Amino acid sequence: MFRLWKIFSKGLIMENPIFVLALSLCPALAVTTTVVNALTMGLSVMFVLSANNVVVSLTRKLVNHKVRVPIYITSIATIVTLVQLLLQAYAPLLYKDLGIYLSLIVVFAIILARAEVFASKNSVVPSFFDGFGMGCGFTLAMLIIGTIRELVGNGTILGYNILGHAYQPALIMILPPGAFLLIGYLVGASKLFNQYLEKRQKARGEVV
Amino acid sequence: MTSTSTSLSTSTAPSAPKPAHKEDSILRIALNLTAACLISGLFIAGTYFLTHDTAVQKEAELKALTLKSMVTEADSYKNVAGKTDWYIASKAGKIIAYIVPAESKGYGGAIKMLVAVTPDGVVKNFNILDSKETPGLGDKASKPQFSGQLLGKSAEHLTVTKDPSDKDDIMAISGATITSRAVTLGVKNAVAEVAQFVKEGGS
Repeated sequence: MFRLWKIFSKGLIMENPIFVLALSLCPALAVTTTVVNALTMGLSVMFVLSANNVVVSLTRKLVNHKVRVPIYITSIATIVTLVQLLLQAYAPLLYKDLGIYLSLIVVFAIILARAEVFASKNSVVPSFFDGFGMGCGFTLAMLIIGTIRELVGNGTILGYNILGHAYQPALIMILPPGAFLLIGYLVGASKLFNQYLEKRQKARGEVV
Repeated sequence: MTSTSTSLSTSTAPSAPKPAHKEDSILRIALNLTAACLISGLFIAGTYFLTHDTAVQKEAELKALTLKSMVTEADSYKNVAGKTDWYIASKAGKIIAYIVPAESKGYGGAIKMLVAVTPDGVVKNFNILDSKETPGLGDKASKPQFSGQLLGKSAEHLTVTKDPSDKDDIMAISGATITSRAVTLGVKNAVAEVAQFVKEGGS
């Protein structure tokens, strides 16, 4: 149980997909202008990442080593297409909102990376927790970026006015350059935080 | 891409490379990939087969709902003969509005809209169906603060201004002038098309 928790939790901060692994920076720039967009994208990635890790783990003994990457991509694309078809039929409004994000997920580096690094070498349950944890870490990072950008760039959070009407929104924050600046600072901050964690663990005499 | 995270992965991952596959002939590899694609194809085809009817039905429902939300007081929505996606919304036989599609080029590509225009050429309602405007800037065009300005306007006041004292025209969204102009132009064109249609005596 502790091992599973460790697999899950490493995706949150220690190996956060965006801040530490620096994978999938593109969605972190493109769809974090509002909290709602960031959260939607994060949850979609979390679902596809967990599902794909399970599929890759289940089929890991059948897949030929030389064509594993095309097969992983096929698997990701299949999962995304299935989700699209199901949403189209049973939740068309949600499908309309998610439309462009869903098709983008196929090419996210983080999903392929977890399939290659973890799921292809581990059994189903740990693979699921790895995908779920990474997905949570991704969602968390997207939420942090989205909240700051929406607050500074538009004066609102989730569409509610927080900073009052006297506040002049800093437009740069909702444009891509603002996201670059912000992500840079956040990567720095998470690095400091991780260093602090490591130091604390060393001081306690734990093996890092 | 994965090299940065390989070293970080858990201790459970075997460090030794996979045992060499003796049977790695090109045919086997190709068959492996073919099988994977075939299986995923079957999954997608199966799901499509099961969900397609529901999806078509839901889409029609959604369309009816959109029309209903455009002109709430109408009781019938009739397709206009010879025009695709043109609808006449009428109540008790009296035409309230024409619902027509409009398209114009915005900052991030085409902006697709549905516009409801009364027979005397006033914008009754409009709805942005699809756009790729900058999130947080251009996509404010569908918020009532901007879109509300267009309602009740006739063609001569459908121009964008940046002058706050100009109350008759459409005040641009700050930072998104191109989008504001595009939306306004699309609506204006729709009004013109309807005016033309009414002049020709069509119904």
